[in-house]
Amino acid sequence: MLKVNGWSSRWASLLLLCLAVCSLITPAVTVKHENFKTCDQSGFCKRNRAYADTALATSNWASPYSLDAASVKFEKGILTGIVSKKIATTGETVRLPLTVAFYESGTARVTIDEERRQKGDIELRHGSKAKKQRYNEAEKWAVVGGTSVSTGAAASKDAEAGTTKIVYGPASIFEAVIRHAPFGVDFKRDGETQIKFNDQGMLNMEHWRPKVDKPVAEKKEGEEDVAAEADAEDEGTWWDESFGGNTDSKPRGPEAVAMDITFPGYQHVYGVAEHAGPLSLKESRGGDGKYSEPYRLYNSDVFEYEMDSPMTLYGAIPFMQAQKKDSTVGVFWLNAAETWIDVTKSTTAANPLSFGIGSSVTTQTHWISETGLLDVFVFLGPKPQDVIGAYSELTGYTQLPQQFAIAYHQCRWNYVTDDDVKDVDRKFDRYNIPYDVIWLDIEYTEGKKYFTWDPMTFPDPLGMNKQLDEHERKLVAIIDPHIKNEANYPIVEELKSKDLAVHNKDDNIYEGWCWPGSSYWIDCFSPKGREWWKGLFRYDKFKGTAKNVFIWNDMNEPSVFNGPETTMPKDNLHHGHWEHRDLHNINGMTLVNATYEALLARDKSEDKHHVRPFVLTRSFYSGSQRLGAMWTGDNQAAWPHLEASIPMVLSMGVSGFPFAGADVGGFFGNPSKELLTRWYQAGAFYPFFRGHAHIDTRRREPYLAGEPYTQIITQALRLRYSLLPAWYTAFHEASVSGAPIVRPNYYVHPGDEKGFDIDDQLYLGSYGLLAKPVTKEGQEGQDIYLADKEKYFDYFDFWTYEGPGTVTVAAPLETIPLLMQGGHIFPRRDRPRRSSGLMRYDPFTLVVVLGHSGDAEGTLYLDDGESFDFEAGASIHRRFSFVGATSTLMSEDLAAAAAAAPSKKAKDYLKLMEKVRVEKIIIVNAPAAWKGKEEVEISEGLDGESAAARKVTLDWHPKEAGKAAWAVVRDPGVRIGGGWKIGFA
Amino acid sequence: MKVAKFYKDAASFTCISNPSLSFPVSRLNDDYCDCPDGSDEPGTSACAHLSPLSPHTPADGAGAAGSNTTLALPGFYCKNKGHIPTYVPFTSVNDGICDYEVCCDGSEEWEGVGGVKCEDRCQSIGKEWRKQDEARQKSLGNAGKKRKELVAEAGRLRKQVEDRIQSLGTEMEGSEIKVKQLEQEVAEVERKEKGKVVRGNVPKKAGKLGVLVGLAKQRTEELRETLERVRGERDSSTSRLQELEGILSTFKEEYNPNFNDEGVKRAVRAWEDYAARDKGPEPEAAHDRDLDAITGSDKDNGLDWEEYEGDDESESETDKVYAFESYLPPSLRGWVDQKLRDLRVTLVDSGILADTTAGSSSGGESKAVTDAKNRLTAAEKEVEKHRKSLNEHQDDLAKDFGPDDVFRALKDQCVSTDAGEYTYEVCFLSKTTQKPKKGGGHTNMGNFVRLERIVVDDELPPNGKGLGSGERIAMKHENGQHCWNGPNRSTMVVLACSESNEVWKIVEEEKCVYRMEVGTPAVCEVLGASAAGVEGKKAGGVRDEL
Repeated sequence: MLKVNGWSSRWASLLLLCLAVCSLITPAVTVKHENFKTCDQSGFCKRNRAYADTALATSNWASPYSLDAASVKFEKGILTGIVSKKIATTGETVRLPLTVAFYESGTARVTIDEERRQKGDIELRHGSKAKKQRYNEAEKWAVVGGTSVSTGAAASKDAEAGTTKIVYGPASIFEAVIRHAPFGVDFKRDGETQIKFNDQGMLNMEHWRPKVDKPVAEKKEGEEDVAAEADAEDEGTWWDESFGGNTDSKPRGPEAVAMDITFPGYQHVYGVAEHAGPLSLKESRGGDGKYSEPYRLYNSDVFEYEMDSPMTLYGAIPFMQAQKKDSTVGVFWLNAAETWIDVTKSTTAANPLSFGIGSSVTTQTHWISETGLLDVFVFLGPKPQDVIGAYSELTGYTQLPQQFAIAYHQCRWNYVTDDDVKDVDRKFDRYNIPYDVIWLDIEYTEGKKYFTWDPMTFPDPLGMNKQLDEHERKLVAIIDPHIKNEANYPIVEELKSKDLAVHNKDDNIYEGWCWPGSSYWIDCFSPKGREWWKGLFRYDKFKGTAKNVFIWNDMNEPSVFNGPETTMPKDNLHHGHWEHRDLHNINGMTLVNATYEALLARDKSEDKHHVRPFVLTRSFYSGSQRLGAMWTGDNQAAWPHLEASIPMVLSMGVSGFPFAGADVGGFFGNPSKELLTRWYQAGAFYPFFRGHAHIDTRRREPYLAGEPYTQIITQALRLRYSLLPAWYTAFHEASVSGAPIVRPNYYVHPGDEKGFDIDDQLYLGSYGLLAKPVTKEGQEGQDIYLADKEKYFDYFDFWTYEGPGTVTVAAPLETIPLLMQGGHIFPRRDRPRRSSGLMRYDPFTLVVVLGHSGDAEGTLYLDDGESFDFEAGASIHRRFSFVGATSTLMSEDLAAAAAAAPSKKAKDYLKLMEKVRVEKIIIVNAPAAWKGKEEVEISEGLDGESAAARKVTLDWHPKEAGKAAWAVVRDPGVRIGGGWKIGFA
Repeated sequence: MKVAKFYKDAASFTCISNPSLSFPVSRLNDDYCDCPDGSDEPGTSACAHLSPLSPHTPADGAGAAGSNTTLALPGFYCKNKGHIPTYVPFTSVNDGICDYEVCCDGSEEWEGVGGVKCEDRCQSIGKEWRKQDEARQKSLGNAGKKRKELVAEAGRLRKQVEDRIQSLGTEMEGSEIKVKQLEQEVAEVERKEKGKVVRGNVPKKAGKLGVLVGLAKQRTEELRETLERVRGERDSSTSRLQELEGILSTFKEEYNPNFNDEGVKRAVRAWEDYAARDKGPEPEAAHDRDLDAITGSDKDNGLDWEEYEGDDESESETDKVYAFESYLPPSLRGWVDQKLRDLRVTLVDSGILADTTAGSSSGGESKAVTDAKNRLTAAEKEVEKHRKSLNEHQDDLAKDFGPDDVFRALKDQCVSTDAGEYTYEVCFLSKTTQKPKKGGGHTNMGNFVRLERIVVDDELPPNGKGLGSGERIAMKHENGQHCWNGPNRSTMVVLACSESNEVWKIVEEEKCVYRMEVGTPAVCEVLGASAAGVEGKKAGGVRDEL
């Protein structure tokens, strides 16, 4: 193992050098690196990196894992068998049960467990009461669908010797070729290998072993003990591990799971959110411009996190996509423990015979988790949406939020009194600035005791809620999982007496420090705990809340100020005696899950008629998208943070959790007015749009900025509000397909290799609205990349651009670089209102953007924006299409329910919306042939009864000086929920 | 309605600001915005987007080439029969919300969107408003009276000051004359005294060298003492500094960055910067040894004062003079003696000869001189006192006490209010204070610096106790108690007219930056004489200001 040590010390010194250099050049305010582990300080990561190095450095490395061919069974879409791990030093073998499941959706899943631990046939050290099994409940929390087993999957007879081949997927174009020795799996699509498991031989499942105390003196760092190297493994990181003054007792010893996953021919990988870095993941094993640390997933309260870093943040989504020209594939590593992912790329030399065809890049990834099962889902695409859709089918689709939740949120730590809240509310109206939600951070509570109000500063919360409700505004109040340990606080008394808190390693209640000081943590893994939690939010229990009050769950990583890496000790015990290490990354989601459940029914009327909950979370895991929104945590009022927010939000979008945003203005510090203004312009394109500020910052509500800033910010807010119908439709699409709400270039143009690493511009939904917010100080122009041969028009002046290529758009402070791609129709509501709720019955404007084909289409989804009646069909879902050949624009029904007998709720909703009309149709790049045309003909009632055709005015304007021709249909008056056709011919 | 004339034509309508555009009357109030100035939709929200606050495109009407896009109308006109007519922002028209506080007749929701019905409440709202308005008017009247009283009081106080200045002036004159007299007296006494040569008064060893030695010895002694004291202070400072640095470096090691405490972080950063800086030379042991030697006794340093001060080697000049005199015959001696005295006085007066009778060695001054001088000093002090007092009073007159000097009447008067766990107090022209209700130390939130005028834009609550909108007098308070994590506390006290002095509202706008809204009759009718009468035009039932 000499080589291994040599390698790792080289890496370590490189890292040290890197850190030293970084500490010289980074600004004074940065993350405290010493509070968070590097791979080298995390025993299992260090071991597995060393293992990988050995595998790579050893010629004819033989992975010691093999599938016992005799054990292989394939039945009803599920293959089972035993993988044997051969231990070189003892000659023993460890039996690892393998399951490969093939699902109807075309998703395959490879699971490896450890037989001895399944049977509980191990001994725990320190008399630990922890569960002996490997954690097998991640699925229970993360996976909600898409696991019906494929009936079409079949074992293929033409498998090569030493392999088992299963053919599956749509039209049976997918194959899983399972190599027996060494064990490995190749996943193919159309006969071409897309994903390889254990191709590099890094598969490593650390089996349970008893601790044998050896009399040998501990080897010192740097000493080369050749004798020891020869046959013994370095046990230095197997048992109790200390970091930052905390010792992890590790009662089960080493138990990591790791494997390499190769994407041959794929030059880009995305995902494994949440990190503050580029969308296209960087290589992580050193080198110029590359990281030297793996991407880490270990949900943490990282204070003042840094830019362009693989360091862990608040949430974890172990889902990765790989992209090459016209092909997308992906994997989902279902494991809730601390996980590190190394990314490397290798270039295959071009075939000298294939003239002009360049070399191809292969991306290798190495996944390392501290504990749990090896449990990997494989998605074979071929389109980005196929992969994201399949992942979303498994982990659930984004919640369809209430309408207010996608409007603007005004937050600050803290609005200090109920009068303060009411004053801010009035000021927004006074300045004609729309907003929907005002937020309360921790200071509203009495002494940080959640579910209480400070009687001095919030004497009348109901009066405050009532004022907000007058303009259909909402309040979001924070509730964190730490419960103050203080006498005469009924909540903590119940928590203790019912024994619903997380336990320490000795199975007693765990006490740590957070905002309130000494605190306990609700264990939402416990059904009883969740049931109790649900009860706390009833209006009669959490007095001072009303129907317009919603919840923010913060600090749910969990953040523990005095814990290791600012979180819980890993040997803490949760419900079912699972160790915290087993489920850490899921912890945050369980709290949000319990809060979501709680918000479904807060009184008797809601028990029967739920309204959609809204919960914002900081910590998340695969599946959290079902429960609400996330934000990127505690960023800073600095230009690089504004810049980083866009790739971060895009990354969340392609990770199945698109309801994402960053704190507008930046949490820490005071933004300049220019930065604040630019941040609002960018924030208008975050799916979750909230202004927030730290308690030590100056007030920065939009009306305080002064002119011209307040006016420009208001324009950005009103732009967001006018486009809410488009946003809501995009959210609906996400809620049924998992599609991102804001989309990176690669997602929209998967055939355009040049755009695969573009992450500073975004498309809104399926509307061809391409925004590239300005994120640099003093910048007055913006280069926008256009991927396709299509016309693009400036949103605000109809200036015409032509793709493909990069175009420059003027972007003075008052302008958001925003283009409209030809071929789309998008809906707007142009009347400014005080809140989105007050736009409910406003008429629509349709913008038809004609490109090269002369055709265009777009959809609209609409419902009451608050209840679950849409599930009973109470919605409007239309497709608008313009056909250039016939010059007709029509509206067709997309709602499936419309065909069958509509429910009463569906009919009631249509009746309610009967008068809501299209007031205006704008045609950008209107055909020159329309010159002189003054009328269009409208026929309405295509969905059933028909009405007589009528004519309305058309107003055509020729193109001028680079700006497209446009036309307006004056007040067509057609129903938004009805069928109609407009003839322009 | 001024604009009503534009809507009279029965057949066609011309946009108010864009006369080139006209439409059939059927397009008036048809919920579609035709005019770039929105004048075709006085009754709907169709043109609400025509505002610099909205994003614009060429196709929304606002971008039409060369059009005037300023809205021609201030809003939707609510007749509010039984109350005061008003304009409602177009953005509030037909949005499903009855905006009774501006449109009591509910007419802005004429379309009844979503089934909303806003019944006419102008009778009750108008009645209530009139009742409140009456109360307000009454209160306003009272406030006006009170202000008059305050102004009168301020005038009286000013008069007092002016009177005092006058009397001080007179007193000053008297005192100055007295000073002059006393000065002459002192001069006279001194002249007399200087003529007396009193041998005994001449210090024995007042020879030049002797004086020098005496002074040098004294000075050296002083320097040694001072050096020793400074050294002691240095040693104690160094040890305190070390202790402090120790505390800070432990603090830096142990602080928890996750408490998100800006102040702590700033402190840590400042400490890091400090620790990284060049600390200057370490105290060297050699220097200290030098110090030990220097502070040793003079003898050890080879300096024996006694050698120099021991016996009287040389005679002083006066001695020589007296010696010379003794050689003369007695008759001549008397004459010479007299001449010498005169000469001496002349020499002393002209500064040629050192004055041994007065000056630094006052011990040698005669009682007559001392008494005369004491009288003079007392008189000078009296003058100084008067001058200071006069200056103070003159400054006071020049100070800004607001219009009509009115705040003179309120100086140091305090009003307070309870908010949360504190009582907040403002003492006019003095300071603002936060007092915990549960007891404990008071916190100074700023000392009065100056009067300012600021523009406010608030809605006035029905009881009139609020700032309203327009220019207001404000009192700026700065340099209060320093805030952990923040600046020194400061408070802006914004004043508006009220019948009595009262604190309406206190907000901590930002960390340790407070704003108090205070009512006082002192500012009534001062700013915006328009106060009464305009209310209701902009927002029915809600007046802009008292």
